[in-house]
Amino acid sequence: MKTKLFAWVDRRTGAEAIIKSQLTEYPAPKNLNWMWVFGAIAMFVLILQIVTGIFLAMYYKPSAELTAGGFSVAFDSVERIMRDVNFGWLLRYVHAVGASMFFLVVYIHMGRGMYYGSYKEPRELIWIMGVVILLIMQGAAFFGYLLPWGQMSFWGATVITNLFGAVPVLGDLIGQLLMGGFSVGDPTLNRFFSLHYLFPLLLGAIGGGHMHALHPVHSNNPDGIDLDQNDPKNVVMFHPYVTMKDAFAVSAFLMLYMYIVFFNPQMGGYFIEVDNYLPADPLQTPAHIAPVWYLTPWYTILRVFEVKLVGIAFMGASLAILFVYPFLDRSPVRSARYRPVYQGMVIMFFIDVIVLGYCGHTTTTEATKIAGTIATFYYFAFFLALPFLPKFEKTKALPEGV
Amino acid sequence: MKLKSILLSAAACVAMLTSGLAFASGGGMVFKHADTDVTSQAQLLRGLTVFTDTCMGCHSAKYITYKGLMDYPELGISRAMADEFRGDNALSSGLHTELAPEDAVESYGKVPPDLSLVVPGRRGGVDYIYSLLTGYAHDESGRVDDGNYNTYFPGNRTAMPDPLGWLDHDAEDTAELEQQAHDVSAFLEFIADPHQNTRRDLGVYVMGFLLLLTLVLFLLKREVWKDVH
Repeated sequence: MKTKLFAWVDRRTGAEAIIKSQLTEYPAPKNLNWMWVFGAIAMFVLILQIVTGIFLAMYYKPSAELTAGGFSVAFDSVERIMRDVNFGWLLRYVHAVGASMFFLVVYIHMGRGMYYGSYKEPRELIWIMGVVILLIMQGAAFFGYLLPWGQMSFWGATVITNLFGAVPVLGDLIGQLLMGGFSVGDPTLNRFFSLHYLFPLLLGAIGGGHMHALHPVHSNNPDGIDLDQNDPKNVVMFHPYVTMKDAFAVSAFLMLYMYIVFFNPQMGGYFIEVDNYLPADPLQTPAHIAPVWYLTPWYTILRVFEVKLVGIAFMGASLAILFVYPFLDRSPVRSARYRPVYQGMVIMFFIDVIVLGYCGHTTTTEATKIAGTIATFYYFAFFLALPFLPKFEKTKALPEGV
Repeated sequence: MKLKSILLSAAACVAMLTSGLAFASGGGMVFKHADTDVTSQAQLLRGLTVFTDTCMGCHSAKYITYKGLMDYPELGISRAMADEFRGDNALSSGLHTELAPEDAVESYGKVPPDLSLVVPGRRGGVDYIYSLLTGYAHDESGRVDDGNYNTYFPGNRTAMPDPLGWLDHDAEDTAELEQQAHDVSAFLEFIADPHQNTRRDLGVYVMGFLLLLTLVLFLLKREVWKDVH
């Protein structure tokens, strides 16, 4: 069966063993439902972001130097990509919409892990690496949003770098290191471009680790039960079963993604904000500064506290608590299907994050302030209640096999 | 429960995104509907005329070059027409106003913004532009001078004095002025993203291809999985 060429390569790389262990003889539970396709979709979007980004960087110029009409070299180069570069508009819209789609997919992927208990023993490390990936994604998105040097780029970066400035003792130093000066300016743009190129490479590496950590413990399943991975009653081989399922899912996902790219790339100001079509102007603050939708839940947690430092502490805590989530949850049962109390709590948590996101996006009113405060409270209450849950939660009987 | 509830949450998320669209784009204010067709050469050319005759007195559109006017098939401007428009300017030059920034500040108090990206750069988009051009009125409270009071401008006091002469126009001119406002709105909508027609045309084929691909992959998946129970 092996060709001479493949045999030559195999002898020198062990390619056949790799293909067997990773694909054709790697077992996956056969009862995985459609929520299990989002990891593959996330990998696909990451690759697409890196490829489009490489081509965009061939034309993009990270310089805040002013040009006619109050624009800048950076803003001009983005418009040149949109207007003069062949299919530059396609590259840029795929990349800009891709950022939002990446977060959408990763949030669903995380939600699946939370619902079916994929973060629990023995898969804690996969979850923790996933949280690192989330943080790096947020960083990459934040750096990337500065690059067009529009009003929201500039003021968003100003607000966030000032946040770091409020950290006690080290604040000024961190702020200055981030900005390359005392305010957001040309040096900031240059280092953000550099970091925006670096972070996706880190994502690729840590994403590899995320998958590597999956291999010894195998995929979780909707029932959250331990399966004998050698029993063909329980499992199918990753290739061709899971790969074909994922390929179909990626294609279906692409229909949504490309529909937005070709017919509604700004998504009414949600994916590319209205104010970012105005050139950055350090002398004029936009009436309403809000991050892009995927960062708004954390922005709400930041804003509900009157004291800035407290807000920063809670925003940091809201991300940090994700690291200890696998250890806070002490229940031996994984899937929410068999945990009636946790099931209600985790669904409430998903709604809670959407409420947080909504409050962070709109202008602050009394109503959003109250809603944001309650939602922030629930965000932490969800995690902090987990250790006490096994004391009174009556879990349902687990099935024997799939 | 199980999967369904997660899908419901996702659906709620999408619903929130879409229901917020009108609000996000309009900023709460209701604008008049702009009757624009960015595929209509006739309308775009009329809009270009309004732009060069009126808007360019004060405003630039630096990302639109004279060469661009020739290259975009929607406009289809001949070399001779482009030469007439550009005068002494280079073919690669953007549409720059003759008004010097310092003169603008002296006359109007500020430098008029570049209009290349004015449609996506304003809440309400093209409807806002049309409403603004036909939104000049007398200030009931008398605080803002005629020509600076606009129903649709945030805060109602605009530095742009009634470019089309909407205020106190004769009733028989209404249709003509509205047409001019529609046309120039269409032109501005077009130049903000001059490949938008190509994008939408191509998008139909892309969606068609993806539909076929998804169908084939669905059948393939079903075939591969048919012996799994």
